[in-house]
Amino acid sequence: MTPERRNLTRRGLVQGMGAAGLAAAAGLRVGPRPAGARSRFAAPMLQGGLSGEITIGYADELGVKPPYVEQAAEAVRGANPDATITIDLQKISGGDYTTQLLLALDSGEGPDVIHIGGDRIGELADAGYIAPLDDFLAEWEDWETEYPQSVRDGVTYDGSVWAVPYGLDTRFLYARRDILDQAGLGADWQPANLEGILEAAKAVKENVPNVLPYGLYAGQSGEGGTAAHGFLPIMLAHGGQIKDAEGKWIGSGPTIEQTLAYYERAWRTDAVVPTEILTTAKPWTAMREKIGTGELALLFEGGWVYGGYAAKAAEGAFDLEAIAYLLHPTVDAGPSFTIGGPGTVWYINEASENKELAWEFIKAFNTAEIVAALNLEDPHPVARADAAALPEFQENQYLVDATASLEQAVFLPPDPNLAKVIAVIQDATGSVAAGDATPEDAAARYREDLIRAVGEENVAAG
Amino acid sequence: MATLAQPVPPPPVIRRRWSAWRRNRAYVVGLTPAAILLALWFVGPALWGFYASFTNRALTGRNARFPEWVGLENYRRLFDDPDLATVFLNSLVFVVGSAMLGQFVLGLALALLLDHAEARGYRLTPLVYGAVLLAWVNPTVIAGFQWVAMFDFYYGSLNQVLTFVGLPRVNWLGEAPMLSVIVVNVWRGTAFAMLIFLGALRTIPTQIYEAARVDGAGAGRRFWDHTLPNLRHIAVLVLLSVTMSTFGTFVLIQTLTNGGPGNQTQVIALYAYETAFRGYEIGYGSTIAVVMLAINVAFATVYLRVSRPKV
Repeated sequence: MTPERRNLTRRGLVQGMGAAGLAAAAGLRVGPRPAGARSRFAAPMLQGGLSGEITIGYADELGVKPPYVEQAAEAVRGANPDATITIDLQKISGGDYTTQLLLALDSGEGPDVIHIGGDRIGELADAGYIAPLDDFLAEWEDWETEYPQSVRDGVTYDGSVWAVPYGLDTRFLYARRDILDQAGLGADWQPANLEGILEAAKAVKENVPNVLPYGLYAGQSGEGGTAAHGFLPIMLAHGGQIKDAEGKWIGSGPTIEQTLAYYERAWRTDAVVPTEILTTAKPWTAMREKIGTGELALLFEGGWVYGGYAAKAAEGAFDLEAIAYLLHPTVDAGPSFTIGGPGTVWYINEASENKELAWEFIKAFNTAEIVAALNLEDPHPVARADAAALPEFQENQYLVDATASLEQAVFLPPDPNLAKVIAVIQDATGSVAAGDATPEDAAARYREDLIRAVGEENVAAG
Repeated sequence: MATLAQPVPPPPVIRRRWSAWRRNRAYVVGLTPAAILLALWFVGPALWGFYASFTNRALTGRNARFPEWVGLENYRRLFDDPDLATVFLNSLVFVVGSAMLGQFVLGLALALLLDHAEARGYRLTPLVYGAVLLAWVNPTVIAGFQWVAMFDFYYGSLNQVLTFVGLPRVNWLGEAPMLSVIVVNVWRGTAFAMLIFLGALRTIPTQIYEAARVDGAGAGRRFWDHTLPNLRHIAVLVLLSVTMSTFGTFVLIQTLTNGGPGNQTQVIALYAYETAFRGYEIGYGSTIAVVMLAINVAFATVYLRVSRPKV
């Protein structure tokens, strides 16, 4: 990942969103449009006369998406009365669903329309599981006019577009103002630099009993979060990169050791991270919840988590103002940053026998109306510029901040070896956090493991 | 029937085969469905896994689309794997601790106690029975989560008891992860060994003990001279079963520690699962599973040889 790519991404996204202006009219409501109600957006131009069957498969633990999926499916059914659309909703976590889905895809099965993380594009495309969408997109005007170049780049791999995103990912350092205030740091605390996080965590540990100071994911249990919410931001904070300009994975250098030394301080020396992160399956579930309940002071996590806090706060569970969302600091007080991503996206199964119908569903789902309503309910920066420009988004401070955060975001480029690299990161961070290896030993092992996992030709020399 | 003194010439092949069939048909008919099912659900996948272990087959990326034969590369990689020694050692500690010392010994002890208690007509015997069986019939994931709740540093019942009596909390899964998973696996699996031993104890004729008592043998001597020799074959069967099932255990560990902290509870079955279904490396994961199968076969061979009656 190069600085050039990062700058292009930030600028392109913001320009794209700004260009849309405030053209849309007011009156958008949260939640799917009731039957019979009129939309202020033009109805999607869906192709008619299609027949056959498709299955739409997706996982949703929170239960936010089903009405919107149903609304889109209904629109396709309306335009194509002979078509049969089956919705396969799995109420399990994305990680569990992905393994099941991959096994199905490997057998030439699986739903026609697939809905999983956009960070997997390289792996899925190389495996031949997903179909390129270029031909469909060429005939969909919205793709050129409403999706900023940076968003389109995020789902482009090997010269083709493979997915359509609806809500982008950003990440924040969540900080409980009330706990930090009790720790003597003041309610308006912000870390001046990376050291500031550890200092704050130590102050919480010393002054606020029965509160976990800092959630820093490590090891296998943290799954992808160990990389995206732990190792990667800490390494970027030290000025490091995970890939070089040629696209090779960086396996050595001072920043890897510095990152692992930070892990050693947080986990072992200062002991401000709860050890259950290393021993609990899906530790993020508890960590996210504990930020909400005030049992954890600091956590770098997905921006999508904030929607859950907002919903709980609306029920009166706690004061939303108590939860600050901040960009990640750097080691030398440089510009703060975050980690971006294309979010959960829509793909078409390469094995689908009815790709046209599958595409009609994707088009029907990714209307400005659905994208806007869904992202207001489950707050993400929106992929479509016309939805981002709506007054509701401008009035929602979190969405404004989340969208603005993408100006400072680093995006992981699609890579077919991503899962293997994440496994190497898990081993390195887990061994240091558990006290099984020193940062020096773990850094040396990191390079060896990286070569073993992705091949020497894909690892930068040095 | 032919005798050694009057040898008869062998019957023609067809007659001999017919005779063998008549003699064995009940076994053949009875065992064939089981053999077919085993072939379908065990031998087939095992053979496929063996084949996959020589390929770079994956669930994602180019190797999912175009898997290639890599010969012994996966085996070379496995034996070069710096984590392998730790994983093997952890597996050994887990099997010896929870299967051989835990489930086997505790199962035998509980069976002896329950057998004795039943013979004496103690009223609380069914309660003990129920408690031990409850741990066994509980689904593994649920049992794991129950213990996660008990081990929790802040709210777990174990630490609640410790703080109630004025002792400091213990980070069970963080500081004593292997001991914790062994304790849970012993708790969960002891019932199986206990039930088998209990059944076997009831087949030992009581006259043997009565005669031993008359001869002045104490409880220890009776156990050593009569109970243990009579349980020998069953004991080998139990040891074989608990060793193999413990060697293949991973759901319980996954729920409790997920192999952590670091690799401190990473056992071979979990390592194979993580490699194949989290790292999506089916070929390499199959290699680990094949090695695991070979170890299990070695265990079984040794146990069965030891248990073979001496002629």
